[in-house]
Amino acid sequence: MKEKIKDMKLNMSEALELPKDIVMDLPKITVIGNIELSLLNHKGIVEYTQNVIRINTNSGVVKITGEELVIKTILTEEIIVTGLIDNIEFLS
Amino acid sequence: MLAIKIWNYLRGYVIIRIEGLTLEKFLNLVAKENIYIWDIRRIDYTIVEAKVSIEGFKSLRNIVRKVKCKVYAYEKRGLPFLMGKMKKRKMLGIGFIIFLGIIFFLTSFIWEIEILGNEKIDDTKIKNILKEENIYEGVLRYKIDEDNAKNVLLEKINTFSFVSIDIEGTKLIVEVKEQDIPPENISDDTPCNIVADKKGIIKKVIAKNGKSVVKEGDVVNKGQILITGIIKNDRFEGEMLVHAEGEVYAVTRYTHTVEEPIEKSIKEETGNSYEHREYKFGKKIIKFGSADIPFKEYIEEVEENNVFTIEPFNFPISIITHKYKEVEVKKVKQNVDSLKESCQVLAVKEINKVLPEDSKIVSKDVKYIENEDKLTTIVIIEVMENIGKKQIITY
Repeated sequence: MKEKIKDMKLNMSEALELPKDIVMDLPKITVIGNIELSLLNHKGIVEYTQNVIRINTNSGVVKITGEELVIKTILTEEIIVTGLIDNIEFLS
Repeated sequence: MLAIKIWNYLRGYVIIRIEGLTLEKFLNLVAKENIYIWDIRRIDYTIVEAKVSIEGFKSLRNIVRKVKCKVYAYEKRGLPFLMGKMKKRKMLGIGFIIFLGIIFFLTSFIWEIEILGNEKIDDTKIKNILKEENIYEGVLRYKIDEDNAKNVLLEKINTFSFVSIDIEGTKLIVEVKEQDIPPENISDDTPCNIVADKKGIIKKVIAKNGKSVVKEGDVVNKGQILITGIIKNDRFEGEMLVHAEGEVYAVTRYTHTVEEPIEKSIKEETGNSYEHREYKFGKKIIKFGSADIPFKEYIEEVEENNVFTIEPFNFPISIITHKYKEVEVKKVKQNVDSLKESCQVLAVKEINKVLPEDSKIVSKDVKYIENEDKLTTIVIIEVMENIGKKQIITY
């Protein structure tokens, strides 16, 4: 049932050319160089250390690795991470 | 970003440290509760540091209860905390207010009166007139009626053609413009004599009105009557008073003496110099280094540099550099003939300064007196000029 709704949403957004991150509540990641990353539509932090940050989203867990990672801000919708980013990974 | 930082500083924030094992849960709850938290940094495996506003810090308590972690304020920053500190040190605040008060109080007085542009009239005379109008050093500047003082000055000293009074900070600047003193106007019907303005030998008397009492060749002194306005008539008894008018030309003498040593000492720089600095704060001078000058004969050069001048503010701090240049004194014997000439030119120039405009030069005489080491030059110029001056007859 859930899968069906998801498929319908995808088709609808494709047909009506609506942004998928809004319709399907998917994360939107913006990376500035390798020093700043902002992630919209997160579902909470799973792990946070200086070198690894794991953030839960609707597309699975996003794993960010790097050095001296700092969470600049954390809001209900958005997380901004600064530091030297090496790797952005989707774990599903 | 800077604006946000300043805003946060003004509102005040707390750097907190959170200790616990499930810190991610804590962060998620903070985000869910809409508490603004920023600059989250992992310090240790069990410690996270973050910044949070004062209101946010208060509402963190509920979350702490749920997550079972320890939160404590590590550092407090911002204006509200600074104000709190100030409340404890009341005397500092009072002192600051007193300081501002004193500055305000002192700048509301006039501390200096500067008078510009006056040549013939004394500063003290102007100051005395201003004092009568309640303007003096130490008066409240709000009490000064500039327009009134201006009018009074113009009225009392009639040689002023222009007066302006400006207040610049604690300084009162009076700027005046003098016109030439007008000759005493004697109307045509007041009886008067014509008297000699200076000593001289009479050459010509043209009496248009009145009776001349001197003749050619007479030597007159200053103040002597030349054309009298008192006419004694044989037919009438008593005297008739008239307004004497006329011109009296006389030969007057102007002399000027110039003394010049024949042997002149010339200072020659040797190239050695010595510098010495002073710091000046207002009128106080602080000297650095020794002020002993290692030369016997020297020329001093003074240079003043204003260090802190940011227009239009002029801070009275400056560095004065004294430069002493060693000199060698040499005595040189001058050529007497050329010295004579230069002295004569100098003397004639001096006389020309005092000669009246309408005078005619009759003769010029130059005398040189040569002593052992001195040359005295005397220049005598005789001119013909009008020496008559009107003087009201007084009884």
